[in-house]
Amino acid sequence: MKTDLPTQLLEAELKSEHIAIAFENTDTITESQQPSAFGQSSRTVFATTFVTIFFAEFGDKTQLSTLLMSAESQSPWIVFGGAAIAMVTTSLLGVLLGCWIATRIAPRTVEKLASVSLLLISMMLLWDVVQ
Amino acid sequence: MDWNLLGLSFITVFLSELGDKSQLAAIALSGRSQFPRMVFLGTAAALLLTSLLGALAGGWAAELLPVKTTKAIAAIGFAFLAIRLWCNPDASQHEEN
Repeated sequence: MKTDLPTQLLEAELKSEHIAIAFENTDTITESQQPSAFGQSSRTVFATTFVTIFFAEFGDKTQLSTLLMSAESQSPWIVFGGAAIAMVTTSLLGVLLGCWIATRIAPRTVEKLASVSLLLISMMLLWDVVQ
Repeated sequence: MDWNLLGLSFITVFLSELGDKSQLAAIALSGRSQFPRMVFLGTAAALLLTSLLGALAGGWAAELLPVKTTKAIAAIGFAFLAIRLWCNPDASQHEEN
């Protein structure tokens, strides 16, 4: 095929091809669920979010109010239904707001702000424990 | 179907959860995540499970897991997430691209 070409040029072509292929590969890796340096697959995102929020909300005022309402009304499933719709709505609103903010502010700034707010939540929870 | 009760529990929970720590966490975690859908599913599932336990198990749930312990665990979890987000090596790469 390209045997009559000067070898240097051929090498250069081959190299650029290799580089292009390598870039394509890394792109597909980051797009799929391959974990990065911090192991952020979709499953770990789900699990870490679930576990922290579960423990944070356990025994919190929402759980107590559903508890009280279901005890008073004698129909726990209806109370749970209303609470469930409300919780899905608030978490959906939260995620949509987060994504919207991320499109408006620089990624690095979003990260720092998010990190600080998570620390604040951590402090709030610790304050609850101490009191 | 008791629509009044359904509406009452919806409004009570909606108002108490609006701007509360779970929603703040959902906002904070979804912004830089590759999987905001998973953040939503994780948050919603955790909230549903706690209120399911609240509605069905009642006071028994509080005896099973002491509240102070769970809050302390959650505080450590959030601190961990905060630190991970603060020194995220991925993001700086994305920013350069």
